[in-house]
Amino acid sequence: MAAEDMAAAAAPFLNVEGLTIRFGGLTAVGGLDMAVAKGSIHALIGPNGAGKSTTFNCISRFYTPSEGRITYDGRDITRLPAREMAGLGIARSFQNLELFAELTVFENVLIGAHVHAGRTWRDALSARPRGVVEEVEHLIERTGLTAYAQTKARNLDFGHQKMVEIARALAIRPKLLLLDEPAAGLRNREIAALDTLLCELRERDGLTILLVEHVMQLVMSISDRITVLSFGTKIAEGTAAEVRAHPAVIEAYLGREAAQEAAHG
Amino acid sequence: MDLQLALIFLQQGIASGLVSGSVYALLALAIVVIFKTSDVPNFAQGEVFMAAGYVALYLFVFQQMPIWVVLPATLVVAFLAMALFRRFVLDQVAKSAKDLVYLVIATLGLSYVLKGLVRRTGFGDTPRSFPALVPTDSIMIGQASVTLLDLAIFGTAVVVMAAFFWMFNYTKIGRAMRAVGMNPKAAQLVGVDLRRCHMLIWGLSGVISAIAALLISPKILMTADMGSIVMLAFAAAIVGGFSSLPGAVVGGFVIGIVENLVGLFISSRAIVLAPFLAILIVLVLRPQGLFGGKLTIKKV
Amino acid sequence: MSSSPLASAPEGRPGLPGAALGGLALAALLAVALPFFTTGYVVYIANLLLVFVVLCLGLHIVIGETGQFSMAHAAFYGIGIYASALANRAVDLPYPFAMLFGALVAGAVGLFIGALALRMRDIYLALATFAFGEAMQWVFANWDSVTNGPNGLRIAPARFGPLEILSDKQAYPFVLFFCLLAIGFTVVVSRSRLGRAFRAVRESEVAAMAMGIDVRRTRVIGFGLSAAVAGFAGGMFGLFQTFIHPDSLGFQTTILVLTMVVVGGLGSIWGAIGGAIVFGLISEVLRQAPQYQEIIYGAILMLFMMYAPHGLFAFVGERIREARHGR
Repeated sequence: MAAEDMAAAAAPFLNVEGLTIRFGGLTAVGGLDMAVAKGSIHALIGPNGAGKSTTFNCISRFYTPSEGRITYDGRDITRLPAREMAGLGIARSFQNLELFAELTVFENVLIGAHVHAGRTWRDALSARPRGVVEEVEHLIERTGLTAYAQTKARNLDFGHQKMVEIARALAIRPKLLLLDEPAAGLRNREIAALDTLLCELRERDGLTILLVEHVMQLVMSISDRITVLSFGTKIAEGTAAEVRAHPAVIEAYLGREAAQEAAHG
Repeated sequence: MDLQLALIFLQQGIASGLVSGSVYALLALAIVVIFKTSDVPNFAQGEVFMAAGYVALYLFVFQQMPIWVVLPATLVVAFLAMALFRRFVLDQVAKSAKDLVYLVIATLGLSYVLKGLVRRTGFGDTPRSFPALVPTDSIMIGQASVTLLDLAIFGTAVVVMAAFFWMFNYTKIGRAMRAVGMNPKAAQLVGVDLRRCHMLIWGLSGVISAIAALLISPKILMTADMGSIVMLAFAAAIVGGFSSLPGAVVGGFVIGIVENLVGLFISSRAIVLAPFLAILIVLVLRPQGLFGGKLTIKKV
Repeated sequence: MSSSPLASAPEGRPGLPGAALGGLALAALLAVALPFFTTGYVVYIANLLLVFVVLCLGLHIVIGETGQFSMAHAAFYGIGIYASALANRAVDLPYPFAMLFGALVAGAVGLFIGALALRMRDIYLALATFAFGEAMQWVFANWDSVTNGPNGLRIAPARFGPLEILSDKQAYPFVLFFCLLAIGFTVVVSRSRLGRAFRAVRESEVAAMAMGIDVRRTRVIGFGLSAAVAGFAGGMFGLFQTFIHPDSLGFQTTILVLTMVVVGGLGSIWGAIGGAIVFGLISEVLRQAPQYQEIIYGAILMLFMMYAPHGLFAFVGERIREARHGR
């Protein structure tokens, strides 16, 4: 246990130090420290408005933090533009789905492989670049979308659309996969499949995964480590069992429920 | 050019620029208020302006109606035309296609229909002028010569803009409009009727264009192509940052003054290039415009 | 949005039935043999239509592929016409070099305008090109020493080595060839990695960014390519035309090309080509009634956006499918 902790502290794959994000006068996230170990599944949870998505968008470089440092694989990425993330092996999904709606599933995933599809002129000009197409087809199969490969993304049901997001992100060949509420709106059966897929990605592909998630069933089952945010600050961190027993976490969640009850009553 | 003359030119340029600028400011305001709430740059704004001018001309000169009927009637027609276009054309377009491009093309279509209709009536064949309602006697302000009509144009424009700002910033309906501009879904949740709000905004922007037409048409020769003035209004809106109402107004005056100075100091032939050059200069030096804040990325 | 019962059907390109293939072959044969059995006027119209096909391809790249708006298509076309005509006169090289020069100049100007306009919002491209189109027409009409100003410019006959093109019939095979070349080019670009980036940017800016696509650069390149293709169409014009006047390079021409693309169907190469041919012929008829032209163009733009945003062919196809499904 101690040895593991030390190794993680020595070389966290993704390290967030003193991350602060202000919108106008409002501090959405204040001084967050978080370390994600290589090859782990790390979850970021917390009540609504805790600053999870804001943190997530900072790490994927869609927002720029007011203060703090983000390092990935030993590299400072705090000021890099979002479009360079794919090249570095950081892939993300979107909470509210940002699919290429009018394009087919195949094309969606193929565009995910954009950074790998232009090795040679011939590949760049090809509609089916060598090496990449096979991988895209494999990813489509792995996410259970083979039957829909030629369907336009907008014509899929919600669960399949979420899978397209993940397949497209995987086409980047990421080392770090950032997932923004991948289970939101999914049915139990689909959550189970997602659970299996994410564990497989960690074990077989050695991926590091950071996810923001509300669905506790998934979080508690797959996460190696969980960071809990409330009102923009970290209130707890640890394994699923540790977090579940943490008084501050119970208070943050129960307090919220109590507040909701008061609002309804 | 000696200094004395240059100073006179400068004063004259600013005075005339404020007058034509007030028309650009009104049109830019009409464009920006629509863009803020619908994300659509209305390419028919110039033709709405032109058509409103012809409606007034038709009622006043051809039907000999009294002016107190003509003015409100023109504004009502402009309001209805734009509100109905929003309600029946654009809502239908938005229903069948989600992309912005489709809405933009529909506004281009409207501009051509209006231009064609005015040409068909035959009024547009010969250039005409709307009779001036205010005497065109000249007076001197400093070393610049302006007419009473000029002062009336400037004064009316300022009053209209002030009234619009008051409406937009301090009334309940104005708050609803701003809410629609910031977040239509949230606005709908708190009880704003989106459809009616959009119709109102488009209608009002028609009214503002019609006022601009009524103000300027005694000063210019009216033709079916006079809507091309909208180019200067677009330039004004870009100078102002394109989503700021005060920016649109200031941009209008800036463009008006620059245009007149170019005409006086360089050549009246070069005026045609003024809007493009103004846009280019703003994009090079200050792409967010004078009043535009940093463009924030879409929330994801 | 996707309530159609056909929504779940696979959308892969269905194989063309034999009859359609036969029809296409017949059309191709007719197109090739055209000069042998028609009058010079018909060939002239055919030449013009082929030029419009290429203009539509250019506009398709910017609107259909990247989802942006260009209002200065006529200006880039004009730049291509003047640049290739002047190059043809100045240098004793085969005409294709002049065409290439025209395309490059138009493309370079497009890249410049695009790089500036797209610094802010993508809609600024529409506004900047709107003003640019007007400014260019003024330049064509007033830069006397280069364009011969409002008198128009005489275009010297195109030369291919010893061969000098002096008639529409002579020019036709070349125009047809360059048109096919432009179609091939557009198809290749559209299917390539760049073409996929165009569509990604059109569909979702943020997702494109997350896939490592430089959104602004992709937009600028799309616009530059579109301008270059328009310039190339200008060079094709010089193959059979002997004269160019600035009046024919105004906003009217941009609207004509836009209407063709809209009629054919935004977002599809074949729609753009079909639209150019179908509406090109219609506009030739409309020439008889100039007083109705503006109203008709405007009404077409509005009505298609309202009821047939994917163009005439998709609209008719859908109606036929609906009829077959007994609705």
